[in-house]
Amino acid sequence: MIVARELRKEYGGFVAVESSSFSVAEGEVFGVIGPNGAGKTTTLKMLAGLLEPTSGTATVAGFDASETEMRSRLGFLPEESPLYEEMTALSYLQFFADLYDVPRGVAQERIHETLDELELDHRKRQIGDMSKGMKRKVAIARSLINDPDVLIYDEPASGLDPLTTNYIIDFTAQLAAEGKTILFSAHNLFHVESICDRVAIMNDGAIIAKGDLDALQEEYGTTTYHVYTTVDLPETVQKNGQYCRTVESMAAVERTREEVLEAGGTVTDIRTDESSLEDVFLDIAETEAKQ
Amino acid sequence: MKLAKILRIARWEVTKNAGGVDRRTLGVVVVALLLLLAVVPIVAFSGVGLDDNLYRVGVSEESEFAPVVAEDETFAVIEGATVDDLESERIDLYVEGNQVHRVQSDKGAAAYEELRDSVAAYNERNLRQEPNQSAAFPVEVIVSFEEQTGTSVVVGAPGGEEPLPDADQDEGEAESPVDDTDDGPPMDEDGDESPVDEEDVPDEESADDPSEEEPDDTGEETRTDETDDDTATGDADDEQEAADDPESDEDHDPADDPATADREDGDELTGPLADFLGPLSDDGMSGSPADITPPFPFQSLVLAFLFVLPLNFVIQAYGSTILSERINRRGELLLVTPVSRTEIIAGKTLPYLLGAMALQSLLAVGAVWLLRGEIGGFVSILALIPLVLLFLGSTFLGAMFARSFKELTFVTVTITVSLTSYAFIPAIFSDIDPIALISPLTLVVRDLQTESIALSEFLFSAGPPTLVALVFFSLGAGLYREEDMFDQRSMSGKVLDSLAGPISSKWHVGLVTMMLIPFVMVTQLVAVATFFALGELAILLLFIVVAVTEELAKTLHVYAAYEHNRFERTAGSAIVLGAISGTAFFLIEIAILVFQLLGFTELEIGEALLLFSGVITGPSELLLLIPPLLLHIITAVIGTLGAYRSKGAYIVAVSLAMLVHLVYNLSVVMLFV
Repeated sequence: MIVARELRKEYGGFVAVESSSFSVAEGEVFGVIGPNGAGKTTTLKMLAGLLEPTSGTATVAGFDASETEMRSRLGFLPEESPLYEEMTALSYLQFFADLYDVPRGVAQERIHETLDELELDHRKRQIGDMSKGMKRKVAIARSLINDPDVLIYDEPASGLDPLTTNYIIDFTAQLAAEGKTILFSAHNLFHVESICDRVAIMNDGAIIAKGDLDALQEEYGTTTYHVYTTVDLPETVQKNGQYCRTVESMAAVERTREEVLEAGGTVTDIRTDESSLEDVFLDIAETEAKQ
Repeated sequence: MKLAKILRIARWEVTKNAGGVDRRTLGVVVVALLLLLAVVPIVAFSGVGLDDNLYRVGVSEESEFAPVVAEDETFAVIEGATVDDLESERIDLYVEGNQVHRVQSDKGAAAYEELRDSVAAYNERNLRQEPNQSAAFPVEVIVSFEEQTGTSVVVGAPGGEEPLPDADQDEGEAESPVDDTDDGPPMDEDGDESPVDEEDVPDEESADDPSEEEPDDTGEETRTDETDDDTATGDADDEQEAADDPESDEDHDPADDPATADREDGDELTGPLADFLGPLSDDGMSGSPADITPPFPFQSLVLAFLFVLPLNFVIQAYGSTILSERINRRGELLLVTPVSRTEIIAGKTLPYLLGAMALQSLLAVGAVWLLRGEIGGFVSILALIPLVLLFLGSTFLGAMFARSFKELTFVTVTITVSLTSYAFIPAIFSDIDPIALISPLTLVVRDLQTESIALSEFLFSAGPPTLVALVFFSLGAGLYREEDMFDQRSMSGKVLDSLAGPISSKWHVGLVTMMLIPFVMVTQLVAVATFFALGELAILLLFIVVAVTEELAKTLHVYAAYEHNRFERTAGSAIVLGAISGTAFFLIEIAILVFQLLGFTELEIGEALLLFSGVITGPSELLLLIPPLLLHIITAVIGTLGAYRSKGAYIVAVSLAMLVHLVYNLSVVMLFV
């Protein structure tokens, strides 16, 4: 549904995005992660047709990103979406429904349904009088007004309180479950990890790693083993009346077990810790920086 | 473009802004408007009355001046006052019979002058009520304006070349109760300490109601006396002939005089405000000597002001709404909807265009009704469309360049000053100089003054501002995109973006070249105005300006297009684009030539355009058009060959093209001049 091929964006002499290529399959949730200035937003805007790539192509739902038809199939949520604060939520959403040629009856039904799902009351209140969380919900409702096949959400929970953030992440997960194709960027890797099937990690305008989470963890992550014994061996620390040695491979675990047996003790427990996406990201970023 | 979406955005634009005004504010605005509507007619018809009861006057009941004083609200009649009250300055004037006494002070002198004016006006009113107007005004003077060199006019009688000699200084005692040619009351020569000065006034006969008096030679003298005005010039014999023969004005064929022909075709101003504007204007082309006024176009001034002023308010609101889309990225979401930016711009502009046109139409129809007492002004409404478009177009472009409301204020003030000058000043002189037609407001003024307007005149006046407005909108549309709207992009970057915006095929390059011609012309005219005093050096400087502006106009947008990857960066594409651009530029020059041959040679603007376009002026020399065609193509190709490579290469190439252009122009001058 979404294909980025060698996308490059240059502002004067500054390269914001370079050689970014990835694709998102129908119904997939794809996350783009990276630090500030990594080029996530620029990439998403090129895919939404807001920015013209300096080179490369962006295709969404079978249309080039610059085509008007593509926009009918897309729901875009920018990181900051200042709304027309003079309008009420209902009139605002109806206005956008008209621009998307959604029939009035369908639009009204969809507006109320979506706002119900988002638990947004005070629909006739002017948007300027709403809280930040409520405004974000209005913005999300707007992105769904045309019942798009593809959603591009840039930091959907940025700047919101934890409760609203969780609500929006859950809502996005629900949209994914409904079969929407979602391209999603975030700073908070936990959110990406919780709902994304695959991710691309960006740094300094380039994609430095991409793939499904398991593969990334396998390629870039590490598994740590904590072996608990009854005997005090070198490189062990005392924990809860037991001795614990931390190793990073199964071979090391086996060697530890043999040492314990030789010392006349027993292995009481073996626990594993797998790298989180954040750990993977930090490892990759650190490696990139060293290079 | 989909009309439905444009209308939807237009409706949203209206409701959005309406939603930003709370009911209390709306109420205050409505009340203020109602008050304004109530006050304006009162002020217009009765004046503000600042002078009411300014002077205190005592007047004896038997005095002929009693009704004069009573009718003039400047005077407050003090009942029971006597001449002794002057000493205590209880009153400023005391009128006893035909004697006027005044306090010897500045205020007393002013009161006396006011009384003289008041008496003159009183007599004029009475004379106008006279059934036999030819008896009341036995002398009639016709003033006509004759074109001399296309820009200057002569004020005088038909065919008159010599200034009218001063008329006799005889006092019109038979007609005026107070001699309004008098130099004023002399002071006591003996240094009388009395603060009161007694002044002779005309005898009782002179104070008689003129309407009851038989017209005689004395009356003629009076009217002649009133023509003792520096502004009334002309041939004395002709004027006397006109005075002797009331039919003489018919001997003068107004059609012989282009400046008056249209006016003579028009209707009389008979509406409620005709008296207010008519006598003060230069509309009094014929009438009594008292009607003769200098050719100060008061009526044109008022009408021009009437139409320009509201536009300045409209562009403030329009500029704000365009910029508010750019502040905090408010307009970003519109750009991801399936609506083109042209539709967005059209939708956002439509309410302001319609609102401004509704206002202007109301003013035009209202002005026609007030001046002529009929429904009309449709030509004016048509002529106002380009002006409104020009105001909105320039504001749109300015708002797309402005990066903050502070900058927008600067932009709108600049637009207000420059466009008001462009529209307003020529329109003031709408019936004095044909160059006034450069402003469409001139058409409006002429239409309201019931002058006929030829189609060619309409096109000449309305065409350029319409085209320029469309160019402004087009350039602004080039900036209506994410990168330019919401980022603090450099000015030069924005210029390139706006130039590249309309280009999506090679033919668009030619179109943009044509679009830039008005700016080239304006720059060159400004250069003429700036350098003309420098003598021969001016020619060189002017040719430098010509070379620079024309080469930039032919190639800068090509460079911008390459920067936006609109074309493949090859020498072949550069040559094609250069040839298209050079040819397009040349075609516009041909169009200007045709335009001139169609009959605008009398306009300096036509001559000026030709002078700098390097085009010859005669149809028999068309073969000589080939060299300028080649020049434009070759220099444009030189420029584009640099443009496709890099910024540095473009600068070098366009500089070379400018040099070639300059050498060519100087060679032509040296060969043929």
